[in-house]
Amino acid sequence: MASLSLKHIYKVYPNGVKAVNDFTMEIEDKEFIVFVGPSGCGKSTTLRMIAGLEDITAGELKIGDLVVNDVEPKDRDIAMVFQNYALYPHMTVFENIAFGLRLRKMPREEINRRVKEAAEILGITEYLGRKPKEMSGGQRQRVSLGRAIVREPKVMLLDEPLSNLDAKLRTQMRSEIAKLHKRLGTTFIYVTHDQIEAMTMGTRIVVMKDGFVQQIDTPKNLYNYPGNKFVAGFIGTPQMNFFEGTLKKVGDNVEIAFHNTDAKVTVPYSYFYKTRPAYLNGETTVIIGLRAENVSLDPETVAKAAATIKVKISHKEELGNETLIYGDINMEGDGYTESSTRIIIKSADDVEHVAGEIVDAALDLDHVHLFDAETEVSILPRIPEFNYLDCDVQGKTLSFLGQSVTLPSVIECESGAGELLIPSDAIKLGGNIVAQVVGIEDILGKKLLSMELGGRRIFAVVDEEVTTSTVGISIDMKKITILRDGQEIVSPMPEVVSFDGNFVKKKVVEDVPETAQERAKRLAKEQKKAAKAAKAAPAEGEQPQEEPVTIEETPVEEPVLTKRKKIVKFSLLIENAEFPAPEDIAQRLIAALSLKRVFDKKYRFECTPYDLTLAEEGIEAEVVGIVDYGEERFARCLVGEKTIYVKLDDSIASLSGTVHLLPDIDKLAIIQADMDIRLV
Amino acid sequence: MEATTKQKKMRSMKVMRRTTNAIIYVILVVISIIWLFPFFYLIIQSLRGETGNYTNYFFPKKWTFDNYIHLFTNEGYNSGTGKIESLQAYNFMTWYGRTFLIAVVVTIVQTVIVLVTSYALSRMRFKMRKPLMNLMLILGMFPGFMSMTALYFLLQLIGLTQNMSTVGLILVYVGSSCMGYYICKGFFDTIPKSLDEAARIDGASRQLIFFKIILPLSKPIIVYTLLTAFMGPWGDYMFASLIANGNPAYWNVAVGLRDMVQPQTLLTYSDSFQRFCAAGVVVSLPITILFFILQRYYVEGVTGGSVKG
Repeated sequence: MASLSLKHIYKVYPNGVKAVNDFTMEIEDKEFIVFVGPSGCGKSTTLRMIAGLEDITAGELKIGDLVVNDVEPKDRDIAMVFQNYALYPHMTVFENIAFGLRLRKMPREEINRRVKEAAEILGITEYLGRKPKEMSGGQRQRVSLGRAIVREPKVMLLDEPLSNLDAKLRTQMRSEIAKLHKRLGTTFIYVTHDQIEAMTMGTRIVVMKDGFVQQIDTPKNLYNYPGNKFVAGFIGTPQMNFFEGTLKKVGDNVEIAFHNTDAKVTVPYSYFYKTRPAYLNGETTVIIGLRAENVSLDPETVAKAAATIKVKISHKEELGNETLIYGDINMEGDGYTESSTRIIIKSADDVEHVAGEIVDAALDLDHVHLFDAETEVSILPRIPEFNYLDCDVQGKTLSFLGQSVTLPSVIECESGAGELLIPSDAIKLGGNIVAQVVGIEDILGKKLLSMELGGRRIFAVVDEEVTTSTVGISIDMKKITILRDGQEIVSPMPEVVSFDGNFVKKKVVEDVPETAQERAKRLAKEQKKAAKAAKAAPAEGEQPQEEPVTIEETPVEEPVLTKRKKIVKFSLLIENAEFPAPEDIAQRLIAALSLKRVFDKKYRFECTPYDLTLAEEGIEAEVVGIVDYGEERFARCLVGEKTIYVKLDDSIASLSGTVHLLPDIDKLAIIQADMDIRLV
Repeated sequence: MEATTKQKKMRSMKVMRRTTNAIIYVILVVISIIWLFPFFYLIIQSLRGETGNYTNYFFPKKWTFDNYIHLFTNEGYNSGTGKIESLQAYNFMTWYGRTFLIAVVVTIVQTVIVLVTSYALSRMRFKMRKPLMNLMLILGMFPGFMSMTALYFLLQLIGLTQNMSTVGLILVYVGSSCMGYYICKGFFDTIPKSLDEAARIDGASRQLIFFKIILPLSKPIIVYTLLTAFMGPWGDYMFASLIANGNPAYWNVAVGLRDMVQPQTLLTYSDSFQRFCAAGVVVSLPITILFFILQRYYVEGVTGGSVKG
């Protein structure tokens, strides 16, 4: 019973293959997390890293509050169920389940009690005396579950536990595992390639592909708001229909034109509040996604539908309760091959359709999904990254949506119209621009505030709850972008400062005080020597003294000796300035890349302008200007050929010439440059 | 009509199968006779009563156990004097005992080394694993006697020849035993790794996994390793004869047996060949017994039920 935290986890194999890329996730106590994705996507590798069966190349894994990167699997307090059961064939079911408890030297009665209890939960009490080979696949997997639950672990890891079972048993075990999760109240992490298992069991699902996390969300949200085309296609059966087309804004509506057919449908513009206006120019190709259940051939629905499209029926699949009708919106298409015109329609009606028949299909555009044709990312994001607005610059005045703001002195641009991009996190509450509140939504732990301003919808990610009907807002000028004719004429200040550098070691000879252990050893040795000498002394002397010698036991404070030692010191060489590397950072770099290669690699060091301070020594930088945003001031500096920004204290009025910068080493992100692995 | 022809065809298929089987069995029987004949001949000859080394008939005219008795009392029938006399140089019991001792020690040590090496090579991933495996395989392809002279001088240097030959031989046999890892590693490779992993999560250390999980599942390969390890030193002639340096006191059974069928010995003692055959039977006994004790593990498949079935 514990939470898990995975931060920037990477798995890179010695041959350079990146199996898992920058996996970051917080798992709460008692969650049922499902990792799902096609084979080879890195889901099992991630699970095995959590289990400790696979080393973590870079990143931080916490179980509870403990960092467990270097902890043995047995000490992580986890249990795992394997796809192939992995039962010990020479032991009985009882011994199999009790094995882990016996190794932990648990009293016999306790073992008996726990095994019996687990067997009862799983309904295998009568098989306790049997050997695994005398059992069926389902029973074996139950034993394997039993072996996991008797340990009462904090986290249960299940690696495709049902893949070896037949379809019926799989459904049955699925609900049994869900029941088990409810009963035990343990955190479950479940790996599967079967999206039905994922959808039915998980409280949250992690969709992965090629080592990258695609989306993390609840089953329902994944289904309703897929973040990209892959997730949209992977979740849900039959697969979502994908068409190509263009979007064009016509008045208050947007016209969706499908490629390869003359079909056009219109939807109100309100759908596209969060979409970048550039997509609505009628030229950019987008991918239109529509699930099979959102297309209907029912004559009544078609008659009432706002949007219809002509479909040439090709064939159908009877599933009993429903029928999947395959067709093509392109009258030349065959409806069999997966293409951008093939359409699958879920239909419950009894109307018989003949192959080759051309019918009207109603499209339920409330559930349309739109994706960029190249990046395949949804263009209807739940949290828009930017607000795209038209603007006009006159001298130092920026006007947009009927508002005028004075540009800070640093932003210089020629007068004229342009496109203004305001990131949704650059709109802050409290300010003199007054906007109408339309609503506030909780999305993935963030609060998205929708507002109406000058007849447009704008969005802001805010921290606090808003209950009033109007709010005053202000805009963080350092984050805005202004485009004119596609050219960036005002760029935001980069939020990340990046340096190049190396990781180096040096051998230094230093006087090091001996450690407590060494000291104890040395003292013991000296005492032994003294004792030996004392013994030998009377033998040499002709007459041993008869009187016992009283040795005064005055505690002599032995001095702590120092030793000349060669020690290896690690340091970070950032833009030719050397900073001593803290022990934990050095260890993490070495662990990730091995001692042999860690010094040959190039690194990128990243931090924010706020993590840099001016100092006597450090990275040499040439100040080229002061960037004044009114509230905050930054120094623009040149380091080599790179321009970087440093936050300036209010006390510093002006700055010029060469300065030295000191980064906050603890906040540095260290990225191995050529493989792009975030190591710290 | 059609049905009956079909019926006929089916019957003819049955006849065909019977004929083929008959032919196969005849061939098998002939092969087994050829194969078993030397063993049979050995046993028959060891029980022959009449003297003379070779006979031109198969079954002896007089059956006797004397050859076995004389083998152990170290006596022989001198064809010159026509009397049974004691063979001073021979001490069959000592040879037999020494060889047995060597074989048992080598069997135990070699089996342990082979199992441990194979497990490490099968389960652990270390830097020089592949090169090491290849090196051992290639070294194993060179015949052992290539290094014989060198080994002899080395053993002489540390005083392990002649009267210390038992220790010397054990050392030589055990020395390269880890090179026989290949078959055993192949077996370990078939035991799913997830068993190791499950045990690791259950809290077992490497040693514990090896002894409690892997070994109980490896009975067939342990038996195989035991048998091959025993047979090597039990039947070795070359090293043993070299290290004994011609002194009958330090011979093992193979060297002693070879001496019985030297032309000179055969001429002097007319029952030498029969005693040789008796010794052959006695020598094959331990392996036979060992095999019968271990054979049930040899066949038993034990991995059943552990994983996907």
